[in-house]
Amino acid sequence: MRQKGNKTDAIVQADQVSRSFGSIVALEHVSLSIPSGRIFGLLGPSGSGKTTLIRLAAGALSPDSGTIRVLGQIMPNRETTAHIGYMTQAAALYPDLSLRENLNFFGALYDVPTGELRARIEEITSEVGLFDRLDSQLQTFSGGMRQRASLACALLHRPELLILDEPTVGLDPVLRRSFWQRFRELADQGRTLIVSSHIMDEADRCDELAFLRDGRLLATGSPDALRAQTGCQDLEDAFLALADALTTAPSGERR
Amino acid sequence: MSRRRVLALATRIVRQFRRDRRTLILMLIAPILVISLLAYIYRGGTHHVSLAIVNGDASPVAAQLVAGLSDSQALTVKTMSAADATRAIKQNDIDAVLTLPDNLSLTGSTPQTLTVTLEGSQPNTSSAVLNALNQALPTTVVRALNPAGVPLKLNPVFLHGGPQFDQLDYFAPTFIGFFAFFFVFLLTSVSFLRERIQGSIERLMVSPLSRAEIVLGYMLGFAVFAALQSVVLVLYCVYAIHIHYTGHILLVFFFTLLLTIGSVNMGIFLSTFARTELQVVQFIPIVITPQGLLSGIIWPLSSLPGPLRILADLMPLTYANEALRGVMIRGDQLGALWLQTGVLVGFAALMVILAASTLHREIA
Ligand SMILES: Nc1ncnc2c1ncn2[C@@H]1O[C@H](COP(=O)(O)OP(=O)(O)OP(=O)(O)O)[C@@H](O)[C@H]1O
Ligand SMILES: [Mg+2]
Repeated sequence: MRQKGNKTDAIVQADQVSRSFGSIVALEHVSLSIPSGRIFGLLGPSGSGKTTLIRLAAGALSPDSGTIRVLGQIMPNRETTAHIGYMTQAAALYPDLSLRENLNFFGALYDVPTGELRARIEEITSEVGLFDRLDSQLQTFSGGMRQRASLACALLHRPELLILDEPTVGLDPVLRRSFWQRFRELADQGRTLIVSSHIMDEADRCDELAFLRDGRLLATGSPDALRAQTGCQDLEDAFLALADALTTAPSGERR
Repeated sequence: MSRRRVLALATRIVRQFRRDRRTLILMLIAPILVISLLAYIYRGGTHHVSLAIVNGDASPVAAQLVAGLSDSQALTVKTMSAADATRAIKQNDIDAVLTLPDNLSLTGSTPQTLTVTLEGSQPNTSSAVLNALNQALPTTVVRALNPAGVPLKLNPVFLHGGPQFDQLDYFAPTFIGFFAFFFVFLLTSVSFLRERIQGSIERLMVSPLSRAEIVLGYMLGFAVFAALQSVVLVLYCVYAIHIHYTGHILLVFFFTLLLTIGSVNMGIFLSTFARTELQVVQFIPIVITPQGLLSGIIWPLSSLPGPLRILADLMPLTYANEALRGVMIRGDQLGALWLQTGVLVGFAALMVILAASTLHREIA
């Protein structure tokens, strides 16, 4: 598998990253490091800055200040993108093309070997249960199917870092479970996954977590470590406790 | 630069667009409809034209000519004095004046020449007058008055324009350029806007695709359709409505494609400033219509008032029109069109730079 052990094990390293949109501060002085081969959960309520952090890591945005490195390279960086699979919050594929045409297109962009592309497309679509819909146009897909198509597209070039923005939103419990099984398999193969969610149930399935609120990092650590830190059994309670701590001690700098 | 990525992008565009049957058909049919309509107006149908005959002569030959021409279906004939006729043709009350010379007789052996003065500003009318006269003249004079069969010849004098001038020949070359320019602009800006709305642009931007590859892929994809459109239009013009055409056909495509490159990139660039497809349509009166009106398609550049003339000189379509007319009407070679080529290359380059500058890796 991959061996990137020259520096630390961190595949993503954010250092005092801030980003605003006009007067809205979406992220403020966020520093974190994401170890490779793990599932890293990014949790926080709507508008807390999850997507912004993800887009910074994927190279779709530049930070206003601070740096974010992926595989040692400061993002945005075109060379690094080849190692990243990015699933945006919206499907972001071409609705007037079939799933196969979409995957062929992105396969070519990521230079998936031509001889292998067909087999890979069939394999990946079987995994997400869309094999029999390969030749349907995406506009005929349901929301969950689009979501799966989008995941297939992010996996196609076998990236070592997968950045998935709310990949399980709108999925039924069965599909959600199969997504998480798939994530675990990928992590076991040595890939790193960054998965954002605002569902605390999903937090327990992650190896590491970061809690975000109002663009600020509340805490990071494994689910158990966060429970221990707050003395709460429930991760949702842990989140609320951490959020309270921040409001009562406004200048609270963590980590 | 990866050829595979560029081709993947171009193929994707071709696929998407091929699926959009209605747009595709519109792109091919609309220009043909417009040019056919013009062809019908300028060349088709029977025109009733009014002819004044100035008859300074009481000879039997002249009387027969007047009577014969009055019978012609295509002509409305009045006789008037030379002064009245001159006034009438200047006021465009009549289309032509036929002047019969004094002592018109057909007894000699030299052909007689009759002067016909044509108003001339509408080429279709002029040719209708000449056609009607040419048809009527040989049969109007009875054998007894013209035993030797002396031919009657027409000497057309044009108040405006000239005998070779056909407005359709003048329009058609510019139409090929205009339609390519217009459709490619519209299609590129809409499909680029869709990339933004769908969010697929974000996927492109975080992929290994470079800006140059995006610009090139888009250009290639749309060039396919621009080429298809110009091939169909050129064939239609040349074979179906017999547009006057002398130059090298490849030069026609060369200038069309050069214009298309500018147009694709202008579409990418301007789509940045549109949030909806309706807003894309709003660019048409700003960037397309003025060029359609001022670039010499309909009114010659020389007829434009000073300030508009300057504006026209700044428009890329003006140069494309000159080049296409040069090629099709005069049979110009590339060497004679270096100015037009240069301006179009410059326009394309400028638009490529503008388009690339809007394609930031970052999409806020
Ligand atoms: N492109 C943008 N333009 C303006 N404001 C933005 C933009 N993107 C994000 N924001 C703002 O930044 C803040 C954080 O947004 P972000 O999308 O990162 O939240 P999120 O945690 O992903 O929320 P959700 O769970 O709803 O997806 C919000 O207040 C949002 O309005
Ligand atoms: Mg989000």
